[in-house]
Formats: sequence, C-alpha cells, structure tokens
Amino acid sequence: MNETLPISDIQLAFSVLLVLITGTIASLLRLGLLKSLVWGTIRTFVQLTLVGYALTYIFQWNNLWLVIGVTLFMAWVAARTAVKRTPNVPKYPALLAFLALLASTYLVGSIVSIMIIAPIPWYAPRIVIPIFGMLLGNSMTGIALSLDRLYSEARARAPEIEALLTFGATPWEAIQDSLREALRAGMTPTINSLMVVGIVSLPGMMTGQILGGADPRLAVRYQIVVMLMITAAVAIGCLLLVGFSYKKLFTEDGALKPFLLQSRN
Amino acid sequence: MFQFNLTYAPGGKEVIQAAADVNQGEVLVVSAPSGTGKTTLLRILARLQPALNGQVFLNREDWLDIPASHWRVLVHYLAQKPALFEGSVADNLAKPFTIRVLSEKPFLANKAKALMAELHLPSHLWEQDARTLSGGEAARLAFVRALLIEPALMLLDEPTAALDEASRQAFYAVLQSWLRQPGHAALLVSHAEDYQLNNLKILKLSAP
Repeated sequence: MNETLPISDIQLAFSVLLVLITGTIASLLRLGLLKSLVWGTIRTFVQLTLVGYALTYIFQWNNLWLVIGVTLFMAWVAARTAVKRTPNVPKYPALLAFLALLASTYLVGSIVSIMIIAPIPWYAPRIVIPIFGMLLGNSMTGIALSLDRLYSEARARAPEIEALLTFGATPWEAIQDSLREALRAGMTPTINSLMVVGIVSLPGMMTGQILGGADPRLAVRYQIVVMLMITAAVAIGCLLLVGFSYKKLFTEDGALKPFLLQSRN
Repeated sequence: MFQFNLTYAPGGKEVIQAAADVNQGEVLVVSAPSGTGKTTLLRILARLQPALNGQVFLNREDWLDIPASHWRVLVHYLAQKPALFEGSVADNLAKPFTIRVLSEKPFLANKAKALMAELHLPSHLWEQDARTLSGGEAARLAFVRALLIEPALMLLDEPTAALDEASRQAFYAVLQSWLRQPGHAALLVSHAEDYQLNNLKILKLSAP
C-alpha cells in the first residue's frame, strides 16, 4: 500500500476529458473563458512537465548553492506577483516585497528544515524546495493582502491620521490603527484555515502524500508542521512588509501624501 | 509673534502668494472667494502639505528648525469637518494625550468639562459615543480638544459653519477669552462675516 500508483501517458491523456467538461460548460453558457481555459491547460502541462524535469535534476545535484539559487528565484517571482495583486497600491517596488518574503521564508524554512524535519543534508532539495514553495505561496498572498489593506486603510482613515498628526503624532503613531488592520487582513486567512483544516478542507499537500501512498498518520504530522510554519512565515512576512511600507505613505516632513487624501477645496 | 510669506498653488493651478504678520492676541481672517486656497494655506501652515516656497516664523524661530510633530501642536490646525475617533466624547478629548509629544501633559478633565459647558455642550455627552454627535456638536468638541492641547496659534477652518447662532456666539466668546491669554493668536477662515472678535486683521489672497 505504501506505493504510488503510476499514471501512464494514456491515463494522463484521459485527464484532458475533464477539460472537455469545463470547456462545454464555458462555451454553452458563453462565459468567454474558453480561450483562457485552453491556454491554461496547455500551460499547466508545459510548466509542470518542465518543473518535473528541473526538480529531478535539482534533487540529483543536491547542491546548497543550487537550492539557494532556486529559492531566490521563487521568492523573486512571488514578490513580483504579490505587488501586482494590490489594486489600492500605486507602483510599489517588488524589491521590498522580495526582502520581506526572503527574510520570513528563510527564517521559518531553516527552522523547519534544520530542527523539525532534519533531512541529511539539512538543505536536501527534495525537502527544502517544496517547503519553500508552500511558504512562498502563502506568504505571497498574505503580504499582498496586508499591503493592499495598509493603503486602503490609510486612504479611508486619512482624516483621523491627519488629526493625530495635528496632536503631534509621528507617522508611526498616526498609522497604528491602519497597521493593525493591515496585519489582520494578511494573517486572518491563514489563521482561519487552522480552524477548519481536516474538517472542511483536506489540504493539498496531505492529500498528495496520501495519494502518493504515504501513511495518513505521517501525512497528518507533516501537515501540522506545514500549517504552523505557514502561519509563522505569513506573520513575519506581513510584519516586515508593513514595517517597510508605512513610511511610503508620508512625506519627508511626516505629512500624509496627497494621493491618500480625498479631493477637497 | 507669527510671520509667514509663502507661495503655493492650490489644485496645481495658479500660484498664490500669502504673507502676513500676526501679533499675539490677534486674529487674522483669511478672505478670498471659495476655491482659492484658503484651506490649503492653513494646511501648509500646519505642515500638512508643502508650499512651493517661503518662510514661516513662530516667535522668531524658523519653522524648519522645529520638528514637524512639535510644530503641529504649537500651530494647530482644526479641520472644517474634524475627525472623531472611536469611543466616547471623553475618550476623544483625552486622545491627544496618548501621543508621546503630549503624554507629559496631564489630561485636564475638569477644564474640558468647563469648556464644554461654555460651548453649550451638555454634560451628559461626556460618556456618549462621539460618532453619534451632530455636526455642530462635533465641531465644538474638536474645538475643546484643540484648546486642551494648548497651542500657540490656532488655524481655524470654517469653525462655525455647522453652528447655530447661540453656539456661534459661545464659540467666539471662548475664542476671544483664549486670545486674551499671553502668547496666543489665530488664523480664521470663515464665510460668515459676523466674527464678533476684537483685534481682527484681514488677509486677502491674490496671485503675486
């Protein structure tokens, strides 16, 4: 039972039938999704096949520098994606998101790899790269939510923030309520998922392991580690990015920047 | 005690020059048609937005030599629609004293209550949720809050716009008695020309 059932080329080709179902719905109801569906399916096949080959190589090489290079690349892509998902934020440097993601995922990833899972060597790509993938995927969503909320809160609370400034508040003091809301926005989805995991949702990683033939009790242990490490990484990532960002809302003289103010006479 | 000479462009349009010298005890009334940057001038003087260039002095001290957070307490801007915070009227009055710059000053609850009474704000409002106040009550509450932080100069933006006649008279009486204390002066933007104040000066805004 501890064996992965193989999926042959023909069996994989059958999975395309599932796309036909989606495609039929999309075209019958004229959802305008057909092109995206076809393109998305092709990309799924191509991207994942390439990743499969790449991972095979990376796992064979077992080289620390290669692992660092791959995780840096993943973090950069995640940072670019995160700053694009923030409709309330005018052009934001991906570098800051990159630094926040890097610091949080490297810290949490190292703890998990060195102290909890402890593979030999500790940077074993078979362990470290999937861990980084999960950390980055979730942190990316978290920091995007936090960053977006920081700007929308600052805009909505501009009168309060300015009132605090007139009481002699520093930008840091004046932005406290918005910071807190931004952190809550980034961290809430992850914390909520801790509540329902196993009841409402079976996480993808655990499902994957079980499908792959692992003992469910071991899969559950891994999943617990994964959930907790994701929560920590999201919290640190949001905290860092919000900390890097709040000064961007203020001028050098510590006043709110004009783009956050509603039009007035 | 307060001198300024500034150029600025409200709404990025025509450039306006404003200069004045305000002595202690005086009120400088800023007069101009609406949309010509009266609010902008007050906000610039409060360092809530930048001027194109110019100089400002408070008691002969250059404004740039004073940290912005201290400046904004000394030269205090009271917005036309003042921001109220979550919590009671009392919480709102105490709010400034949670800020580090003001945290060494005590919050004088009795002084606050006396000022409220002078401004016709009934004492039962003290515990009431501040966000349920009417516009006129909110404006007077914010004025009490501004008086409590003891600025040198008040920048008052349409402070009586939401007030009825009796409250307006009470407002001017409180402002006048505040101005009689040494080291105080005010700038006032107002459409109603019934200021009921002594020591008025008028500043007409114009393009240079």
